[in-house]
Amino acid sequence: MSNPPRQLDSRIEIVTPENIAFEYVLAGPFRRLPAFLIDVFIRAAALFVIFVACMFFSVIGATSIGLGMFLIIWFALSWFYGGLFETLWNGQTPGKRLLGLRVLSIDGQPINALQAVLRNVLRDVDAQPMVGFGAGFAIPFYMLALVAMASNNRFQRLGDLASGTIVVVEKRSQLRGLAAMTQREVVAFAQNLPVNFAASRAMSQALSIYVARRELFSPPRRFEIARTLAEPLCVRWGLPADTNPDLLLCALYYRAFIADRPGDQRGPRAERLPAEVSSP
Amino acid sequence: MKVALLLERRREQWRDLEQLCQEMERRGARRMGGPAVSRFASLYRAACADLALADAYQLPPDTVEYLHQLVGRSHNQFYRSRPFRWRDWGRTMFVELPGRLLRDRALWLAFAIFWGIFGLSLFLAFTSRKYTQEALGEVAMGRFKEMYSQPAQDHGANAGPTMTGFYVMNNAGIGLRCFAAGLLLGVGGLFALVFNAVQLGAVFGYMLTVDERANFMEFVTAHGPFELTAVVFSAAAGMRLGFSLVATGGLSRAASLRRAAVEATPVIGAAVVLFCLAALIEGFVSPSAAPYAAKAAVAVLSTAMLLFYVVALGYSGGE
Repeated sequence: MSNPPRQLDSRIEIVTPENIAFEYVLAGPFRRLPAFLIDVFIRAAALFVIFVACMFFSVIGATSIGLGMFLIIWFALSWFYGGLFETLWNGQTPGKRLLGLRVLSIDGQPINALQAVLRNVLRDVDAQPMVGFGAGFAIPFYMLALVAMASNNRFQRLGDLASGTIVVVEKRSQLRGLAAMTQREVVAFAQNLPVNFAASRAMSQALSIYVARRELFSPPRRFEIARTLAEPLCVRWGLPADTNPDLLLCALYYRAFIADRPGDQRGPRAERLPAEVSSP
Repeated sequence: MKVALLLERRREQWRDLEQLCQEMERRGARRMGGPAVSRFASLYRAACADLALADAYQLPPDTVEYLHQLVGRSHNQFYRSRPFRWRDWGRTMFVELPGRLLRDRALWLAFAIFWGIFGLSLFLAFTSRKYTQEALGEVAMGRFKEMYSQPAQDHGANAGPTMTGFYVMNNAGIGLRCFAAGLLLGVGGLFALVFNAVQLGAVFGYMLTVDERANFMEFVTAHGPFELTAVVFSAAAGMRLGFSLVATGGLSRAASLRRAAVEATPVIGAAVVLFCLAALIEGFVSPSAAPYAAKAAVAVLSTAMLLFYVVALGYSGGE
């Protein structure tokens, strides 16, 4: 099940049968164009190789069979290349696989053969207007696809609309751990914070975003940014007014994410961790 | 509970899941063996749970982002596209599709339009030379006349396979294009249908008035039934797509289009098969030296097969 995207940032939320909502980034026209161009190139290269291979038939005096085979393969590749790969490779063509795109049903399920073939046959309408050069060669401009993508909120071209599919980005990001907070002054300063401090959701988000990026700024700039949050906290907790705002936020981060008290890396509530998965 | 501790405990599992996921993408689940797959499943569920509780755990945003991607990737390995089953395919081709064709009003409409206009155009071209000039133009008339100035077997000698390939590419391509164009409110399919009916009717009518009529009939008889039926099928499938946008039957337009697409795709599949059969006949039988009676027999046989498929199988199967 999927809900339509709520924001303008091209994300789509999918609710799995496990009743978990996770988000995909939808692929817009300019992410899909390079994948399409790679596919065009691969197809042209394959056709060239097949043409050369078919020409070997003329060596044994069967030029007609070779040409006929080539024409049929040309037909099959030009209409069913995408449909074939998206069926066999679970919604990916070679170009999409290289660039980390995947075709899914609008409900987040994988596509079936019928959807894969249909969305690629209907590509012919999406590709309009085509400017032909005779002999079967034409440059597609994909203007209808662009208009269709711009007028719905899932970046679906006409073929996607008819077959009920979306294209999503499947990028691979690295898991970064927490920032190491080992400077002695941070650990020491954390003791000055109130014992009952518990970071709210918004606070912990703000803290982790700040700490992840503070290395990119010069110290005066860090002060300037950190002051927005640090000053009201200083007033509330009665800390000296000349407290280093950067240090205060780092200490808060330390308390929120790493340890309740200095030297207490394993908090007292550690036993209440939810059960972990046991591997079979 | 502290996030540092949680991350420390979970990181290994997430890494494992990521590795299994990669392996599955590369090699496919079947070659990985049962234990790996069931470990993948439990790790996937654990990652789902972690994601669901990310808010409660107050995980940092970049970790949440990572989890979204990890769960998304695993979800795509876990729920895969259904494999192709021959039995399902056979049932669709020989039980459901004939029934659907027989009850498809778009098909009968396309059939009536095509043959009605074809007959009219044929009659007009047969009786009036002025009409032929309007419909085909002098150049095309001359070309057709010249094309059939030789007996059929002379202009396709030894080129059977090449011509078959050419006909598949050209005709089936036109059929698929006609189907796709139907998406534009059905007008594209309708236009292609009427255009073809006028042109073909005029060619038939014109060729019957000239001396080359014997050569012409000898060439077109054998593959005619399959090819003309395929034209009707592909136009009908396109019209079904386009009309679904107009007559939605209470659904939203997008949902109506999706439903029509599921119904129309097997029809265009049948059209492509017919185009290929017609191309085989056109490449090998039509230009052969076989007597006219044999070619006529092929035409009668193929018409009988079509009738059997649509009417007999259609009545017994479907719905």
